[in-house]
Amino acid sequence: MSAEHMIEIDNLRVRYGRRDVLKGVTLNVRRNEVLGVIGPAQSGKTTLLRVINRTIDDVPDAVVRGCIKVDGQDVRQVKDVPALRRKIGMVSPLPVGLPLSIFDNVAFAPRMAGVRDRHELEARVERCLRQAALWDEVKDRLSSLGTRLSGGQQQRLTIARALSHDPEVLCLDEFSIAIDPVTTMRIEDVLKELRSRITIVLVTNLVQQARRLADRTAFFFNGDLVELDRTEAIFSETPADPRTFQYVRGIFG
Amino acid sequence: MSFQATSFTRSKQRSELAARAVFLMMTLLMVVPLLMIVGYLFYQAWPILSLDFLLSNPRNGMRAGGIWSPLLGTIYLVVISLVIATPIGVLAAVFLNEYARENWFTRVINLAVVNLAGVPSIVHALFGLGAFVLFAGLGKSILAASLTLAIMTLPVIIASTKEALAAVPMPFREACWNVGATRWQTIRHVVLPNSIGGILTGVILQVSRAAGETAPIMFTGAVFYKAIKEGDLFAYGLRDQCMALSMHLFTISTQVPGVPKALPYGAAVVLLGSVLAVNALAIVVRFRLRSRRKW
Repeated sequence: MSAEHMIEIDNLRVRYGRRDVLKGVTLNVRRNEVLGVIGPAQSGKTTLLRVINRTIDDVPDAVVRGCIKVDGQDVRQVKDVPALRRKIGMVSPLPVGLPLSIFDNVAFAPRMAGVRDRHELEARVERCLRQAALWDEVKDRLSSLGTRLSGGQQQRLTIARALSHDPEVLCLDEFSIAIDPVTTMRIEDVLKELRSRITIVLVTNLVQQARRLADRTAFFFNGDLVELDRTEAIFSETPADPRTFQYVRGIFG
Repeated sequence: MSFQATSFTRSKQRSELAARAVFLMMTLLMVVPLLMIVGYLFYQAWPILSLDFLLSNPRNGMRAGGIWSPLLGTIYLVVISLVIATPIGVLAAVFLNEYARENWFTRVINLAVVNLAGVPSIVHALFGLGAFVLFAGLGKSILAASLTLAIMTLPVIIASTKEALAAVPMPFREACWNVGATRWQTIRHVVLPNSIGGILTGVILQVSRAAGETAPIMFTGAVFYKAIKEGDLFAYGLRDQCMALSMHLFTISTQVPGVPKALPYGAAVVLLGSVLAVNALAIVVRFRLRSRRKW
């Protein structure tokens, strides 16, 4: 068990049928760092997240090779998959309000994990909604439907839900793809608040978002990890690989 | 810039009007015979319709009296067949839609379900005769007939339930799994509450199908004539044979000479009325659950 690394990935290979999606990726995510993951579409970024929380299991004909450890545990050996998933908060590209009330959306995960106490649930819902910068907008209508919120509010609701099971890692997959710039900036502020307490893997299609938030940034291209370095180095005039330079400057990708 | 109609827009407007007229006519063409059937049945049956008609046995070689015995028989057959078919069908559909992975085995099952739904009812009747009446030794009985009807309605219940489950968007399930909910928790708290309207509608519609079919029960449990205790809801036993409305209607229309005209029409009105009532119930259920729809 490594004290320094929250996630250790060693020579990860993933194939969907005959298509190689990740071709031998090795990287570590340090505790309480923000790791930015950038790269064009089809470069394997989402697949990386699916491997970490084992939702890859639901992809038919996905074949996973290599070793993935979260908090020192090989995720492929994990017997209690729900417990693994509770350790990891996952935010998908499109906001998903469950067809439940706002309160129940956030209380869902704790309830499924066995929390019954009303006061504890209330406290947790309030804390998560505050952390997701949504509390002030919804505190007077917690019993109305989560699906009726605006897109930006639903994405913050999704983040509140991802935080509701006290994860140690928060994975965000292109969270800003369907929301407006103002909400994006608010969520980025949320992430800046969280970064001291939690490990964040930020997959993003906006390279500047990685520049603003990430301690280190990984550049994926076509299933390979091209380069992983301090964010300043990636965005400098002289990253190790010329493709990185070209991608972050918008010359290709 | 003006908004004067050119000859091109005028011709478009004309074809738009023509299309509307044709579609409307087809709609009316469909509604008119339905209203005529219902109207005609009621007109012919009017003199005989009374509570006594419902609650008394056929008498005098089925040339007089009411329809108590066949009515109760149909109720038995429908209720028992659905009590058997609904849990099996709904749970099988949940498995196929929520748990099963796409492979040759589930593909074969899905294909079987679709094809079984299209099997003519007379074939189900022969299967019921062979499997339940003879092989299982149930004899011609309410139980054997209900099992046959259950086999007949099962694939349709599976198909309609699967459709209702599939209408719940996939991202809802993924969001639940992402926060550590198990498959069953996801089904129980998110999928079923949001598909129960469609599931119930599918099941209820099978009531009218089970009530209307004659062929599957003819060889397996329905009889030409049987008098039972009037007003006793438990007059039939599971191993008894019974009369059924659909078959009774057939019998008194074609097999018995000298039946007063109003009698078969009365039976038809009761059969049609109960089917329409059940379908109306399905519409109400669907409407109420849809108005609570949450996305």
